[in-house]
Amino acid sequence: MSRADNLDMATLIEKLAANDPHRRAEAAEMICHACQACPNDETHAVASLVTLPLVRACGDGDERVREWAVAALEDLGPPPTGAVQELVQLVTSGEPLVAYWAITLVGRFGQDASSAVAALAACIDSSADISVRQRAAWALGQIGPAALLARPALLQAAGQSDSRMARLAKEALEAIGS
Amino acid sequence: MAHKKKETNASSSFFWTALTTIAALIGGAGATGWVMPDLPWLGPGISALASTLGLSGQQAQAVETTKPDANRKADANSWIPSTATPGIHPPSAPTASIAYAAGSSPSRLEPTPASLPAPAPANNVPLIAPVPPMATTPPQAKPSDAVLIASFNIQVFGESKMAKPEVVDVLARVVRTFDIVAIQEVRAKSDAIIPEFVRVINADGSRYQHVIGPRLGRTVSKEQYTFIYDTNRIELDTASVGTIRDPADRLHRPPMYARFRVRTTQPERGFSFWMVDTHTDPDEVSQEVDALADVFVVMRSARPDEDDVILLGDLNASPMQFGRIKQIPSIGWAISGVPTNTRRTKTYDNLIFDPITTREYTGRWGVVDLQNTFGLSIDKALQVSDHNPVWAAFSPWELPASQGALMQPAAIPMPVSRR
Repeated sequence: MSRADNLDMATLIEKLAANDPHRRAEAAEMICHACQACPNDETHAVASLVTLPLVRACGDGDERVREWAVAALEDLGPPPTGAVQELVQLVTSGEPLVAYWAITLVGRFGQDASSAVAALAACIDSSADISVRQRAAWALGQIGPAALLARPALLQAAGQSDSRMARLAKEALEAIGS
Repeated sequence: MAHKKKETNASSSFFWTALTTIAALIGGAGATGWVMPDLPWLGPGISALASTLGLSGQQAQAVETTKPDANRKADANSWIPSTATPGIHPPSAPTASIAYAAGSSPSRLEPTPASLPAPAPANNVPLIAPVPPMATTPPQAKPSDAVLIASFNIQVFGESKMAKPEVVDVLARVVRTFDIVAIQEVRAKSDAIIPEFVRVINADGSRYQHVIGPRLGRTVSKEQYTFIYDTNRIELDTASVGTIRDPADRLHRPPMYARFRVRTTQPERGFSFWMVDTHTDPDEVSQEVDALADVFVVMRSARPDEDDVILLGDLNASPMQFGRIKQIPSIGWAISGVPTNTRRTKTYDNLIFDPITTREYTGRWGVVDLQNTFGLSIDKALQVSDHNPVWAAFSPWELPASQGALMQPAAIPMPVSRR
């Protein structure tokens, strides 16, 4: 990214915190388009700037902001290494959509996200939102053998009546191995 | 295919559609109770009627039903006609509408004026020689020898997008190019988005209608599927609209299905087919693509009188990633070797069907490059969508299924890049 692009992106990220929901929605949409327009070799640089602001924007009160943030995150790929620890903090967010996307990005990080295992296991046990619990099981499966500590939570989840939860937990246990 | 249903006359069709609607309302379904497990046919019927009457999307959400009911009888009454000319009938004038007849060409059906004698019986139509698939630009005017079926992921199609007239104009022009467009990613709290979009499409005198599905998704971020179709050329089977039931919860957004038929001078000979609109979760692509293989098989046997299934949408997967879909015998797909996203890096959108069964496929397909077609910069094109529309052309006439010897799978492409 050029310095000018960097400044533009910083301005847009700042606008995500504006009081006016229209400005926030506009910023989220522009960030989404900027992410999708940037060349492949710049994706990582862009992701390092926007990942956390976009995940937080998933908790915005305005639907348009949330939808554009989700659209951007869908295509963003794995998060930058430096973002993982902060994403782990967001895994337990009280906003289900924020937690869901924090977990999704941690899952995309894969086997190197072992520092997230305890938080993800806790999600399976305690999150009130089924989509968050399911996504946590999925993310543990993406982490694989490094998620061994989550076995008890996954074993319990594998016996649940929710068919998707049970299936994802079994798949995660399979990925973790014995 | 061999077993397509018979038609009754137009006035009967309209009468029964109206009667079904009244019965549904009086019979206790009420304005919000259309989705009743024991009366699965009520919701779709009223939903499509809601579309016809321009009612809100909330009401139209009654399309949510169960898996297609194999025992549901094919019923000519359920084909929904256009608003202005209720009932199934031949077009009034060949110039203003579409008149199809089977021609003598072994490779292409030719249009004939509506007043000409009836075409030869379908089983006398010669088998079509393989047509090399190739990417082409969609015709400027709709062809009389083919119907154009498209899929378009209109990224976050909601209030923000509808507030940009220049974006809506491009979207409307795209839709007018095709006979049916399966749309993904309607994301709006308001139910007025699609009716308003259809109003814009029809501002030039076109007569499009829509049928829309329920909001789907595991989080608060939900999407709707919708089909927008040209009632001058296409009719909707209102009894055959719904959302795939997914009891194992394998699909983030279970596909929406609807059955359509090409309006022809001989309704019983018009090409009829299922369309199954899908948008996979990019983080669970391989599992969802495998589940879509099951969806395809289920739809193919959903009705004994319908074997044409076109599964289309944003699969977030290139043909190489089609998994179990590729294991379906004789399966094919239209789009290959040409990127379908606006950045021109991925082939994620497609139309999947069995070319042995769906011999109506003409071999013509394409990707509408938003930048080139509308002269847009990448930034402007991305404001329209991050996906380009994809399309394929099919014969308007129902053709008998091939014995499997002559037809090339659609998946063996010789694409010509259209950029």
